[in-house]
Amino acid sequence: MKITTHQFGEIEFQKEHIVKFTSGLIGFETLQNYVLIKTEDELFYWLNSVEKPEICFPMVGIRVIDESFPMEKNYEAFGIVTLNKDPLKITINLKSPVYLNQDDKIGYQTILSNSNYSMNYNLFKP
Amino acid sequence: MLILTRKINEEIIINSEIRIKILSIAENQIKIGITAPGNMEILRGEIYERVKNIAINIPVGKVSVDDKVREEIKDLSKLKVNKISN
Repeated sequence: MKITTHQFGEIEFQKEHIVKFTSGLIGFETLQNYVLIKTEDELFYWLNSVEKPEICFPMVGIRVIDESFPMEKNYEAFGIVTLNKDPLKITINLKSPVYLNQDDKIGYQTILSNSNYSMNYNLFKP
Repeated sequence: MLILTRKINEEIIINSEIRIKILSIAENQIKIGITAPGNMEILRGEIYERVKNIAINIPVGKVSVDDKVREEIKDLSKLKVNKISN
């Protein structure tokens, strides 16, 4: 399968690579199929929609920020990042993490409503 | 929208598995008890809306992540991640 993305141009992948979000992401409930793209920078992951290839979410694994973040067995928690030209203004959403199971290629987004995690947590230290 | 009138301690049952009970009424506030299966996500409306707005406002695609920004993002890995210390 091939899609043309804004960030990475044309990318080719197998059907087995598609990560299924049966409930979509919040605000994007109708998009269920994504590919997870890892770049060489090792910090960012890109969750690119298969149905609408222009939609792409930059994410960072929350484990690098918070070792005691709520985990789920076989799932890894990611926070969606809001980019900014000024790196110190780049924020990550820890309040509504994306949980991904890379073995079974399934994922979901949840809201930790009873926690103090921020929706706009500064990703980098000054 | 379906509109129902309820009194304290009266319930509404949705789909025979979600029970919503009116617990108390104050001047400007009502307390509601909700019983639902564990896999159902129950959220205060404004929290859902806030998360949704953030998701929609996230710069995606051409607008923000062009090649130049991508180059810059590569450099970001050299920055110190703002760890939460417990």
